[in-house]
Amino acid sequence: MEIGPILRALWHNKLGAMLIAVQIAVTMTVIINAIFIINERSRLMARPSGLEEANLFHLTSVGYGDDFNEQVTSDDDLNMLRQLPGVVNATAVNAIPVSGSGSSTGVRIDMDDRTANVGTAIYRVDEQVFDTLGLNFIAGEGFDVTDMRYRSSAGTTDADKVVMTEALAAILFPDLTPNEVIGETLYTDQVTALQIVGIVERLQAPWPSWENVESSVLIPEQFLDTYSLYVVRTEPGQRDQVMRAAEDLLAGSGADRVIRGVNSLEQTRSETYGADSALSSILKTVVVTLVFINSMGIVGLAVFSINKRRKQIGTRRALGASKFEILRYFLLENLLITTVGVLVGAVLTIALSIVLTTNFNMPAMAWYYAPLGALALIAIGQLAALGPSVRATTITPATATRTV
Amino acid sequence: MFFYYLRLSALSYKRNPVLSTLMVLAIAIGIGAYMVVFTMQHTMGGDPIPHKSDQLFHVSLDTGDPERDDDPPEQLTYIDTMALLEANRAYRQTATSKFSAIIEPENPEIRPFASLGRGAFADFFPMFDVPFLYGSGWSPDADQNREQVVVLSQETNERLFGGNNSVGETIRFDGALFQVVGVLAEWTPIPKYYDVNNGPFDEGEELYIPWYLIVEREMSRSGNTNCWKSIEGTGFQAFLNSECVWIQYWVELEDSDAEAEYLTFLNNYANEQKALGRFQRELNNNLYDVNEWMIEQEVLPDETRILNILAAMLLAVCLLNTIGLLLAKFLGKSAEIGARQALGAHKGSLFIQHMIEAGFIGLLGGLLGLIVAYFGLEGVKILLGNARMQTEWMHVDTTVVTVTVALAIVCTIVAGLYPIWRACNVNPSIHLKTQ
Amino acid sequence: MLQMNNVSKVFRTDTVQTSALKDFSLTVDEGEFVTITGPSGCGKTTFLNIAGLLETYTSGTYLLDGVDVSQLGDFQRARLRNEKIGFIFQSFNLMPDLNLFDNVDVPLRYRGMKASERKPLIENALESVGLASRMKHLPAQLSGGQQQRVAIARALVGSPLFLLADEPTGNLDSNTALGVMELLQEINDKGTTIIMVTHDQLLAKQSQRNIHILDGRISTGDQAEALAPAAEVA
Repeated sequence: MEIGPILRALWHNKLGAMLIAVQIAVTMTVIINAIFIINERSRLMARPSGLEEANLFHLTSVGYGDDFNEQVTSDDDLNMLRQLPGVVNATAVNAIPVSGSGSSTGVRIDMDDRTANVGTAIYRVDEQVFDTLGLNFIAGEGFDVTDMRYRSSAGTTDADKVVMTEALAAILFPDLTPNEVIGETLYTDQVTALQIVGIVERLQAPWPSWENVESSVLIPEQFLDTYSLYVVRTEPGQRDQVMRAAEDLLAGSGADRVIRGVNSLEQTRSETYGADSALSSILKTVVVTLVFINSMGIVGLAVFSINKRRKQIGTRRALGASKFEILRYFLLENLLITTVGVLVGAVLTIALSIVLTTNFNMPAMAWYYAPLGALALIAIGQLAALGPSVRATTITPATATRTV
Repeated sequence: MFFYYLRLSALSYKRNPVLSTLMVLAIAIGIGAYMVVFTMQHTMGGDPIPHKSDQLFHVSLDTGDPERDDDPPEQLTYIDTMALLEANRAYRQTATSKFSAIIEPENPEIRPFASLGRGAFADFFPMFDVPFLYGSGWSPDADQNREQVVVLSQETNERLFGGNNSVGETIRFDGALFQVVGVLAEWTPIPKYYDVNNGPFDEGEELYIPWYLIVEREMSRSGNTNCWKSIEGTGFQAFLNSECVWIQYWVELEDSDAEAEYLTFLNNYANEQKALGRFQRELNNNLYDVNEWMIEQEVLPDETRILNILAAMLLAVCLLNTIGLLLAKFLGKSAEIGARQALGAHKGSLFIQHMIEAGFIGLLGGLLGLIVAYFGLEGVKILLGNARMQTEWMHVDTTVVTVTVALAIVCTIVAGLYPIWRACNVNPSIHLKTQ
Repeated sequence: MLQMNNVSKVFRTDTVQTSALKDFSLTVDEGEFVTITGPSGCGKTTFLNIAGLLETYTSGTYLLDGVDVSQLGDFQRARLRNEKIGFIFQSFNLMPDLNLFDNVDVPLRYRGMKASERKPLIENALESVGLASRMKHLPAQLSGGQQQRVAIARALVGSPLFLLADEPTGNLDSNTALGVMELLQEINDKGTTIIMVTHDQLLAKQSQRNIHILDGRISTGDQAEALAPAAEVA
């Protein structure tokens, strides 16, 4: 083949070729790492919270004034909400998954060994929470009305039951099946002993970037303060109108309070993941821009180098080279340069990935990113070189004999 | 000669309009993208109070769990806060924490609304150079006497009093009346360095009251509370006596002697407390100045730093591109360069001519880059607005303009050095013959 | 005025050494019109480049207007070129994006003259080649002969000691070439020394003095007569 002559010709113009190769290498490094980060973020964003988010919304009631009665208001609110047309169920909780704000605690199974504490999100809920959020039991059951306990925020609890996520159960009881965990006792820093009555498949902690995000416990307990957070589940498709109706209903109920934070769970999710999706969008722009600049560079220099070699191309044509052979020559030349570029690029890509992994809280890149990226860049390079190369084939053999 | 060369640059641009425009575009995109990230990093990680950031210190006391070796708590317990306040050893000092309250406007047309407030001490305002539109902060006596006074943010004053001077008026929140003593002017330092624990890019608070009132009135607290040890007993007093941390403590110390002295004081205090069974870990108390504290708290998000690396590499790609294109362009001018040498140009003047030509392309790239940066920042604003971040600070200011244009020119000249060197060093005689 | 003694030029690449000029000696006096002829590759252009300070030489001495140029740096060589030498090229080498005025202006710019001093000189130079009316035109708007006239104006504008012309008529048809030659003769008649490299035996014969270079050396008149036709064929 003609690889030998191409290589020798490139060697004469090594700087130009090297510039493009380095440019491709750096481009590949940025693009592949950016795509990896984009994929990583969308994987994080796609993790299910365990809730049937599509039909859920939440709202907060903050009472004021001296005659505000917390427990009565809360019970009345929930009753009113449940009777609202389009509402499936409603529950009072202290925090919402994926919202970014909530409480955490350490739990353990050996009361005396505090070093064995496992960090977990703590949800203080009522007995309707399972049905409302759509949590899926894999062992045991939820709470009963009689399990509910009420206390002031500074008091101690006397709740005695707990439901936990499967992920937490697996950490605490690595050797037991979910069914065997039911009936075991759990200790927290604030509580003496809680009997495990149920295990749900999934319920994320409120902080998506937390390392223990899959660890949560639910305790049948409500704080008596002026602050109530309700989650409402609606019939499919009715969420938005029910949300407005619920806000008006509570605001107009006569109690001295402010209703705020009225939001669908989908909206809350997109706010919590706002920085992640912003990063993804920015990186997508970066990728597109780089592909564009890179192609621009390849096209620009290909046009330049072909113009410089018009006479040579004409001579080749005069000596009997077909249009196809001219095309092949330039595409092959581009392929050689790009290949060098992506080989260097693969090394740089992995190097940058290591830098990002060690300095920032990021997982390691899967092995197939670099080779796939290399193939993609070679394809892009060939496409970019195609236009100028096709133009090169239109140079007539007569060019050889003409002095310009 | 400078303007002559500048004119030659413009003429040269017109000779290869496509090649030249490609270069300008590459520089504009590279510089513009980099400036978007630069602006973010510059502001988010910048010094929010440069003239005294080395005199303001965040107090860190290690009252953490002796059975774990995690970082010291980020905030202080109530017990320690009270001890530091009573000792009163710093030039200025303030304990501060957040609360939430429902404001009940007198005007029945305005519905009650929830607001976030900050408890602080009289020193808070002069310490952090808080600007006032009307009135001022309260006096130290007001702190001691637990007077029900309040300073409003500009926005709150707008909402309650239509922006009029409300000093002397009273407002009702948390079920009580507070007298307005001051109204802030616009004050949104980025990052919100005086409280990075509760969101370094959050909006400022709407109300400021003497911090003692939060405790005395048992107001509903807002912001992080962390407890490593269970609260002994019930009720608010039990919470106050616990190892829960929820208060931030800042001191202003005038020089390094004062800083050393204050740290000694803290360590002595911690040693005394050890005798009472507290501070069970090894002594690890610290004074962090504003910038140290922001680094310690990793205020600059990972995302920004990753973007900074990637944007720098994107700029590198654009410059490599520019080197290639400049090489093509300048080597294409060999005949002209040879002719100029024959006509009496020495290499130095050719070098300067082409540096100016590169700089000219850089200037155009920089100006177009400003537009790229502007729209880039607007885009980022929209994206981050969804994440409920403060974004008003993201704008193209004079610093950004200067840096963008200067960086574009310098980068292009640097990118041009090799092509210029090559072009000016070709043997002129070769190119003077018929091509 | 121009004095070369035993000047040699050796080109070296990694593997080959080629001598372009060998012990070349030549003296040109003021007011002469010297033509240089010789076959391709004989060293004509090398001589011209050395004479014009565009290239350095390997050994020998070259005195330009009494100055030994071997020890001069780029800056001084550029200055000498600017002040003492006017170049005329086969392909004109005008700056394509400068108009005629600006093209003729180039050497004066490098001399650092004020605009008020340059303007009359440029206008005179263009006047003398008959193109004063087209000052604002770009080179591409002119015919080949006109372009070469601009180049001559550019070479003359700084009142150099001598003109170095490299095949000035090589790209022109014979009628136009004749016009350019007449112009050069006119210039020479006014006292400017001209050294011209050419292929054209006829032109060479018309000149005061013809130097024939063969294989890097000046050949004697007889050899020139004998070998010239062979060179033409090659």
